[in-house]
Amino acid sequence: MLEVRHLSKTYADGTKALKDVSFSVPDGEFLVVIGLSGSGKSTMLRCINRLIDPTEGEILWDGVDLAQLKGEDLRKARRKIGMIFQHFNLVKRSSVLKNVLAGRLGYTPSWNSLIGRFSAEDKIKAFEAIKRLGIEDQIYKRASELSGGQQQRVGVARALMQDPEMILADEPVASLDPVLAHSIMQYLELLNQEDKITMVCSLHYLDLVQRYATRVIGLKDGVLVYEGSKADIRAMTDEQFKDIYGQDAERVGGGLEGDLGVKVGGAA
Amino acid sequence: MTDDKLQLGHIPEDAREPSLVPAPIAALASLIIPGLGQALARSARRGLILFFSFITVVGLTMWRFGIAAPRDTGWWAIFKKGLYLDPFLIVVTILLFILYIWIAIDAYSLAKVRTKTPLGVFIALMVMFFALGWQIAQIDLVGFVSNADDALPALGRVGWPWSKAIDYELTEIRADAEIEIPCSDAPPPENTLSGDEPIIISTPTCGNLRDQDGTDNPGTELHLEGYNFSPGIEVDIMWEDPIGDEFRQRQGGEYVIVIPDENGYFEIDIEMPYALLPPSAREPTYIWEVFGHQIEEVGAAKLSHDFKLIVEKMIETIFMGMMATFFGILFALPVSFLAARNLMSISPLTLAIYYLVRFILNIIRSIEPIIWAVIFIIVVGLGPFAGVLALVLHSIAALGKLYSEAIESIDPGPIEAVQATGANWIQTVMYAVVPQIIPPFVSFTIYRWDINVRMSTIIGMVGGGGVGFLLIQYIRVLDYRSAGMCVWFIAITVAILDYVSAEIRARFV
Ligand SMILES: Nc1ncnc2c1ncn2[C@@H]1O[C@H](COP(=O)(O)OP(=O)(O)O)[C@@H](O)[C@H]1O
Ligand SMILES: [Mg+2]
Repeated sequence: MLEVRHLSKTYADGTKALKDVSFSVPDGEFLVVIGLSGSGKSTMLRCINRLIDPTEGEILWDGVDLAQLKGEDLRKARRKIGMIFQHFNLVKRSSVLKNVLAGRLGYTPSWNSLIGRFSAEDKIKAFEAIKRLGIEDQIYKRASELSGGQQQRVGVARALMQDPEMILADEPVASLDPVLAHSIMQYLELLNQEDKITMVCSLHYLDLVQRYATRVIGLKDGVLVYEGSKADIRAMTDEQFKDIYGQDAERVGGGLEGDLGVKVGGAA
Repeated sequence: MTDDKLQLGHIPEDAREPSLVPAPIAALASLIIPGLGQALARSARRGLILFFSFITVVGLTMWRFGIAAPRDTGWWAIFKKGLYLDPFLIVVTILLFILYIWIAIDAYSLAKVRTKTPLGVFIALMVMFFALGWQIAQIDLVGFVSNADDALPALGRVGWPWSKAIDYELTEIRADAEIEIPCSDAPPPENTLSGDEPIIISTPTCGNLRDQDGTDNPGTELHLEGYNFSPGIEVDIMWEDPIGDEFRQRQGGEYVIVIPDENGYFEIDIEMPYALLPPSAREPTYIWEVFGHQIEEVGAAKLSHDFKLIVEKMIETIFMGMMATFFGILFALPVSFLAARNLMSISPLTLAIYYLVRFILNIIRSIEPIIWAVIFIIVVGLGPFAGVLALVLHSIAALGKLYSEAIESIDPGPIEAVQATGANWIQTVMYAVVPQIIPPFVSFTIYRWDINVRMSTIIGMVGGGGVGFLLIQYIRVLDYRSAGMCVWFIAITVAILDYVSAEIRARFV
């Protein structure tokens, strides 16, 4: 159970990216965060695993306040939270295998990782993760040689290596075309349903939101403006969606599931 | 946008206001002060540029006239003498006048037609600078072509110097005959042929030297026969006087040289030389020796001394470059972190350090290694060490900058991602930072090694060790063959280095 309470973030330059945001995510939930570009989605996700230090508020995860953790404790907590990024954030020059193995660093003693040694179990685990995501043919290629969809699978495999209880996905499909977007989302759904990994995922295609989310929250200028269940989103119309996104929201004809595909202009 | 820039900051046509003065007035103003007319036509910046350009051009022209006629006083005298002595200054003067007029024309058309900005005046300005540059740089195409003939033999030696790369063991063959001066009752006996020893037989074996007092009595004619010399190799005919001084026989101003036939035999007639009489001349008769002298190459060919020296210095050069690169890397690594903006913008203090380091690096880099070498020679004396120090310093500055730029351009994404897995600081550096900076670091380092070896080939010219030192010495003593070998070795080394570094870079990057 993740409980975010009164979370605020003010950047050094005075930008108030989050203002008193509170919500909770029960275990096993597929929570989707929607909101315009600049509404604070990335900031919020990064506050949860403390890539960004929140200014105020609590982030309770199984009763522990992540916002207060430091050093070793913080790293131990991070091990259990995978993260997937819009731009994949792979080390482009390293092989797929090395990128995936990096997901295991939290469990690897420093001296071993310094000389690049991972345990046999870790390697087997990496092969399995890579296989599970269907990129076993690319295993020794450089990450940069892969297509965008394949790179994001490497990103997912890396997160899997952490044996995560929760995965934070920051617009995981925004750099992919719709077909690939679906395949990545299906993997996330699989991990959510089979492995019982809690998902917190920001998205901006309405059809994807409706198809995968079990709960949705909406951010607007750093303020939580919407909270809805699966049923709520199913019933959501383009107009309501636009309310959160503002009038920039536009329909992209021939969406993936019927004609619900709505893309928000400028969201990235 | 680019069009506006082309017009040198001129106001875009639609926004241009009408000229303050009528066109003829503008032209007149520019005749009085070049550029003033343009300013009055509301093109102040253009006016300023033209004004300062014109002043510069006039100043340069006056300077060149002064140089052409250094002994004259009064500007008119200097002007006339300059035109007379250096015809090219006539061209410069005419161009200057054209430019002056053109600035006025430019002001006229600028004030008259407000919709377009003529560019002709800037072309005139450029032609003017080009002409001055030609004169100042003393470009002399005629000299270039006419001197080429004289330079060809030397260039040929530089181009194919390898005859100097090989030496042979030398032996000296010498055979002499005694000549009595003047003839007495019992002149020395003629030499007789025995075995296959080289020998010279002179007939007669006595005679008189040529007179030195201007009476021009010729010396006695001697018939020389030589046996058992080395066939086909020049024999110098020489004399040795009683006190052991040796000198060569001259005939009609030329040294006497004979070449023995295939049996090692030669014969030649010589006239006895004149010479300052040594103290022994006070005796009634005295003995001189006439001898044939031959230098023969024996044994296998071996590499010449110069060749070996050049190879040694070339090795020294390569290692200088290597050591300089090594120490350059060693110091540039920490420095580059201080010079990387993304790492140093944490606090005002670190930012201040960043600016300071950048500033120092820029200064060091802007001074050529060869000048640093001169400075270090003052400190540590002539030799490779001074060269290495100079190259190290320059490498630190150059690599520090390149490395820091590589650090600045790393992608923060992977760092974030690796951090998010629970990795600690050192793991993050090893897995997210190092893989990103290794390829550019390797590439820059090899590039620098390349530069350092090239540089160390010339740093010797100021005394900083390496092959450059030899090269400049050989050029100074006009030994073009040895200089040519230096050039060849440098070229070969640099070519190999080029290939190797490209190869390594392709592997790593
Ligand atoms: N490092 C930063 N420093 C200052 N302001 C930032 C920084 N990162 C993001 N912001 C600002 O915070 C707000 C929220 O940004 P972000 O969380 O990236 O939104 P989203 O992911 O929804 O597009 C934006 O106004 C953005 O400009
Ligand atoms: Mg974002």
